[in-house]
Amino acid sequence: MTILHRCVALALGVLALGTSSVGLAESEALAPRAGVIGYAMTNLFWSVYQTADGKSECPQGFNDGPREQYDKLWPGQRQRTVLDTHLQMEIETWHPSTEPDPLPFHEVAGKLSYGLNLDGKVDGDDFTHPDGTAGIDNQVYRAVGCIIGFRGPDGVEVIFQDKAIADAVYNRTMIEISGVDDLRNDEDVTVTFYRGQDRLLTDATGNKIMAGGSQRIDTRWGRKLIQQTRGRIVAGVLTTEPLAEVIIPWMNLGVPTFQLVRDLQLQLNLTAEHADGLVAGYADVETYYRQLIRNDSTHHLSNGQISGVSLYKSLRRLADAYPDAEGNNTAISTALDAKFTQVFIQHPEGEQAKQALLSEVARQADERRAARSTLPAKAGSPAAR
Amino acid sequence: MTVKGTQVHSTDAKHWLPAAAIALAFLLAGTATAATLAQPTDASGQRLTEQYMPVAMPPGFQVRVSPLEGPVFADAQGRTLYIWPNRVLRNGYAGETQGNIACRDEVKRVSAGLMSPYPAGLLLPELDTRPSCTDLWVPVAAPEGAKAVGKWSALERGNGQWQWAYDEQALYTSVLDKQPGDALGGTTRRSGGDSPAIRVPSGPPSLVPPGFRVKTTTLGRMLTTDKNFSVYAFDKDTSERSACDEQCSRTWTPVVAPMTARAQGEWNFIERSPGVRQWTFRGRPLYTYVLEVQNWRMQGSDVPGWHNVFTQVAPSPPAEFTVQDTLAGQVLADARGRTIYVYTCGDDSADQLSCEHPTDTQVYRLAMCGGGEWRKCLEFWPYVEAGANTASQNELWTVVSIDPRTGRFAQPDTEGAVNVWAYRDRPVYTYGLDQAPGDVHGAGTGEWRGQRNGLKAFWVRDDFFGGIL
Repeated sequence: MTILHRCVALALGVLALGTSSVGLAESEALAPRAGVIGYAMTNLFWSVYQTADGKSECPQGFNDGPREQYDKLWPGQRQRTVLDTHLQMEIETWHPSTEPDPLPFHEVAGKLSYGLNLDGKVDGDDFTHPDGTAGIDNQVYRAVGCIIGFRGPDGVEVIFQDKAIADAVYNRTMIEISGVDDLRNDEDVTVTFYRGQDRLLTDATGNKIMAGGSQRIDTRWGRKLIQQTRGRIVAGVLTTEPLAEVIIPWMNLGVPTFQLVRDLQLQLNLTAEHADGLVAGYADVETYYRQLIRNDSTHHLSNGQISGVSLYKSLRRLADAYPDAEGNNTAISTALDAKFTQVFIQHPEGEQAKQALLSEVARQADERRAARSTLPAKAGSPAAR
Repeated sequence: MTVKGTQVHSTDAKHWLPAAAIALAFLLAGTATAATLAQPTDASGQRLTEQYMPVAMPPGFQVRVSPLEGPVFADAQGRTLYIWPNRVLRNGYAGETQGNIACRDEVKRVSAGLMSPYPAGLLLPELDTRPSCTDLWVPVAAPEGAKAVGKWSALERGNGQWQWAYDEQALYTSVLDKQPGDALGGTTRRSGGDSPAIRVPSGPPSLVPPGFRVKTTTLGRMLTTDKNFSVYAFDKDTSERSACDEQCSRTWTPVVAPMTARAQGEWNFIERSPGVRQWTFRGRPLYTYVLEVQNWRMQGSDVPGWHNVFTQVAPSPPAEFTVQDTLAGQVLADARGRTIYVYTCGDDSADQLSCEHPTDTQVYRLAMCGGGEWRKCLEFWPYVEAGANTASQNELWTVVSIDPRTGRFAQPDTEGAVNVWAYRDRPVYTYGLDQAPGDVHGAGTGEWRGQRNGLKAFWVRDDFFGGIL
């Protein structure tokens, strides 16, 4: 893009951000100021395709949680011991195994799912997107789709995780898109991941998150979370190149956990105020499970009828990428519904420090990209198979 | 008035110590070296401890300043006195309300079902050796007809027995305390909402003006506002004036004293501008940090020259230990950088007995750390070994001999016993799945996010959790 084009786009972008995306003609460019727009994550949850009664995706019904399983394992009024019941259930939760589940566990049996075709293939275990796209990789959905705690709008995980993402500063994942000429179409943009360190701007009720807040980059504790990739915007949808490993801080109820997602991609609908869509990739199974059970006690899991013991076996059974030395897959395809709200991202020490940081991050990204282009795909990655 | 808890008494706090001495006495806390904070001393080199409000006490009782807990009540032998505050648990209450006694000499045999989802009525472990509440928490006996003194009064236990209470909370000593000044039975450190109904040391109020609080942390007794925001001091300030100018005060908000406030003990003022008085503590003006968005954060200490303020510093961890940065603040770590964890446990009985000390049942710990197998515990949660000839560091960090097969203290002739580091007389651990310095993959492992029958990381800086230190 020429300098003239950039100037025109910049001028229009300033106008656009000064008002709203609503009412702009489709032909008008929507360019953020200086070609940069930042967003803070406000919602993140495992994407679950669900019908009203759940019968098409879960024909056998929904799964039991710890309370129901306890009653099945130890029925009746017989005098029992803490060691044989309560502690036995906790042992199995904290020392899970891949042994066959003695209790029934229903995985999703439907054909439809949200998500992306991560490996570029159409396999037998893939889903079809409701829009007809084949080859959707989302085995996490197959594992959790028939657990009511994972189903919206009032599943306990949905409620708690979304609340945690918005409330806890630890979870303040942000993206900044730079080199943007037009939020609707741009063949080459840069996407930088950061963590913020401020609360989100809300309306007076405290419930509605508003665009236009400011966030300082967490350079103190979150430096290793900062990384960069490229993307393109087509018809208002940002799609990024996969990032090899992304840590998503994800603390719920006060335990500093995270999710580790390999080959992470974004697919987000962009406006001047919001970015909504999918975060997709391969979730590390052990990290996934530990994040769940460390944040949610058996009590919390019970409220969502989530059996950690059964879910672990399912996740390991359905894992579909990154096999270990014994050939057991360690990662599982997934898609998460994500929502972001526009924020102004600032370096605590000013713009010069931000530019220095971005230069360093860009250099690291280039090095990683160069290394990937000269090496065969990482063993076990879907691209290598 | 006479101020308790330091080496110096005064009736005129304004002129209580020369400025130089106050500067020496002031306690600075740079968090990058959090594990090795210097002890505050006065001009003569005497260690300073937290001051407290003098309270009337019956004969035979005293106040001792615990290295971790600050001022606590003690009996004539120096044994710390504890209360058992009532606490709302998931399915009911445990502990004692004012004027009521729940700790009895009856051995509880079944679970109380206070913590969902497990039912009540399950037989508790090791019933043949299970203690009663009063086996572990010895009521502080009061003579029949004991007269109330200040907030102290006597409660009737029944059978003609009376027990001292403070503010109508029954008082106990702990069988874990062996030396005068020990406070091993319980702690005032904040515990999460789903932790057991624990016993806590009882003591006189801290000598802080309205608008301030003192919080027990792993680093020491930290000064905060009454809204729990950290309080800071600036290296360039003196006891006479603040060096924080107009530009500086946009970031650092002076803690302003009301016109009705009076100097007392280590607390005084400077006049920033006509009619505007700023609180000082040990001769340093106090501030809050405007960019701090969460309680008990210590972000301001990252700014050169600025420090959190402590009334007293906790005894240092072993010298070879390190402090590591994580995604969520700083943790204490061993010499190789592996995060240190502490095991926390309280059972689901009506007595809420501890199961975290080596003298307690080890059934819960073995279940959590190794699925009931002691060898797996050593694999997943190894003790932090101290070496055969290593001496205890201080009263808080000690070397204990453990039988790894049982988890209990070893006898002199126990085969395979290991010397391990202990914090508050409880062994500390690392986590086998932590691979690099700064990993805290084990934090929150166990029931109720590690708050009961589980493991918590040993945080030394809390920027994200609102008070877990």
